[in-house]
Amino acid sequence: MIPLLSINNLTVSVGPKVLVNDVSFDVPEAKILAIAGGSGSGKTTIGLSILRLLPSALSIQGGSRIVFEGHDLLGLPEADMRRCRGARIGMVFQEPLSAFDPLFTIGQQLDEVLVAHTRLTKSGRYEKILQTLNEVELPDPKRAYVSFPHQLSGGMRQRAMIAQAMVGDPSLIIADEPTSSLDVTLQVKIMELFSKLRVKKNMTMVLIAHDLGMISHLADEVIICRAGQIVERGSVRQVIDSPQHEYTKALVEAFQ
Amino acid sequence: MGRKINSNSRTSLAFASFRRNRMGMICLWGLVILYAMAIFADFVSPYSYKDEERNFSYCPPTRIEFRDQGKWAAPFVYHYALTFDAMHRRVYVVDRSQKYPLHFFKGGRLWGVDAPGRFYWWGADARGRDLFSRIWYGARISLSIGLLGVGISFMLGLLIGGLAGFYGGWVDSVLMRICEMFMMLPGFYLMLALRAAVPENFNSVQVYFSVVVILAFIGWASLARIIRGMALSLRERDFVLAAKTMGVPDVVIIFKHILPQTISYSMATLMLTVSSYILAEAGLSVVGLGIQDPVPSWGNLLSDAMSIVPVLFAPWILLPGLFIFIAVMCFNVVGDALRDAFDPMFNE
Repeated sequence: MIPLLSINNLTVSVGPKVLVNDVSFDVPEAKILAIAGGSGSGKTTIGLSILRLLPSALSIQGGSRIVFEGHDLLGLPEADMRRCRGARIGMVFQEPLSAFDPLFTIGQQLDEVLVAHTRLTKSGRYEKILQTLNEVELPDPKRAYVSFPHQLSGGMRQRAMIAQAMVGDPSLIIADEPTSSLDVTLQVKIMELFSKLRVKKNMTMVLIAHDLGMISHLADEVIICRAGQIVERGSVRQVIDSPQHEYTKALVEAFQ
Repeated sequence: MGRKINSNSRTSLAFASFRRNRMGMICLWGLVILYAMAIFADFVSPYSYKDEERNFSYCPPTRIEFRDQGKWAAPFVYHYALTFDAMHRRVYVVDRSQKYPLHFFKGGRLWGVDAPGRFYWWGADARGRDLFSRIWYGARISLSIGLLGVGISFMLGLLIGGLAGFYGGWVDSVLMRICEMFMMLPGFYLMLALRAAVPENFNSVQVYFSVVVILAFIGWASLARIIRGMALSLRERDFVLAAKTMGVPDVVIIFKHILPQTISYSMATLMLTVSSYILAEAGLSVVGLGIQDPVPSWGNLLSDAMSIVPVLFAPWILLPGLFIFIAVMCFNVVGDALRDAFDPMFNE
């Protein structure tokens, strides 16, 4: 079976410095692949490379290929790439308070995604947004729709963020440290939400995290990154139960 | 958890801090009064701006009398008779034999006297037109030209600064070099040159709008640079990246997520720009290139005071200058107060 996303020889550099070095991996449909590693290991850079939204100083080197649904994203014209973002690939950020524009309500910002990608009518979009807000188990979707980001609690904001990533019905979701800004009890709830959504929506996901607890709970496969290189990969059980590389061992130890 | 609790936004904090600024508030009220007088010029002034009476050329300010032959009376004015002194200079003599009662709310005007009496509260100009009336009609032109000009400059500045700041790179370089070319030219001479390009046979409305366009054309560049600076920092914010990951088109990001954030900060600069536009219009009109007589603006009212003789014998024709001063000062003080109010360091 052809994987939904296949990254081949991805190399990203800033000037002479290489941030991501020759990274390759596949994400099969309906699977969750986790990218783990410490700060500065290039996890986030890999995530943003898929969407081609790296800061302008960073460049993806020739020879890299990111094949998604049969197209090489790196060869796509910018207009097609824009249509792909939000509609085919959704992204969940670490800190929802700064990822939402403080001047607009949650509803308005979710609406923006639907306006950009669908031809739904105003009421059609409203229904779709309420349905999505309901799916992420926000207690009062109608209230959340008219709330400004700062009016929601941290957990609710993160749910709204997940709703924003899902509202365009993308086939792939990239979640960049989706629980790092939350306290432990909320982390568990968001994790449970992801497990439910994955069953319900048959979700394919790239989960960027440093929290091995969450990875072991959610992911099918994991790759461990260090200084822009993959040091170990395999199924979650295999990597966590019997880590081979020194760095992985240290990570697992730190987690236990 | 009502929506009212969350009113401590940056903007409302800034306005609270602005309200504590005494000078700022006084000047804000000064502006409100000036604009109100301009809007209601038809009502507050006793004459129309073109109502002239040659027998009252440079008539001094009319005193409003309350006492008639030692007794209190309803306000009235005496007739001012034009005579010549031994040096053959014009002098006005109060003629106590002719009285004209001041009437109120007659013919849609706040006050005035019946013809042949004339009521010049702040004196008359060379053609016997009431300066008080002409100042308020002139305020309409002078005060609106600044706002309109800044409105257009601001739109251009937002658009060009927003594009330059959001895209950066070569777009930024090209747009900013164009801005710098405009800023490099000395403003007043550029204004004169542009004005020379406007056809001579324009009517007053056309002249008005050409002056607005000229002002806007000169001033947009510095606003664009300010907006560009803010856009450069705003585009690094997470919510801009988030909007990009959602595939929101660039135009929507610029207009919805970047430009609205710049407005509160650029308010202060806008106020300062309005005052410079008011001065620029006055400058153009003083040298006779702005608004043309009989339509008054503060600038062309002041052009009567360009030669020394009228100023010596009729010093009241300098009054429009006082109003230019007041308006410019008020805009500057309010602008400064707004800038302080929006500056978080200043508030602490």
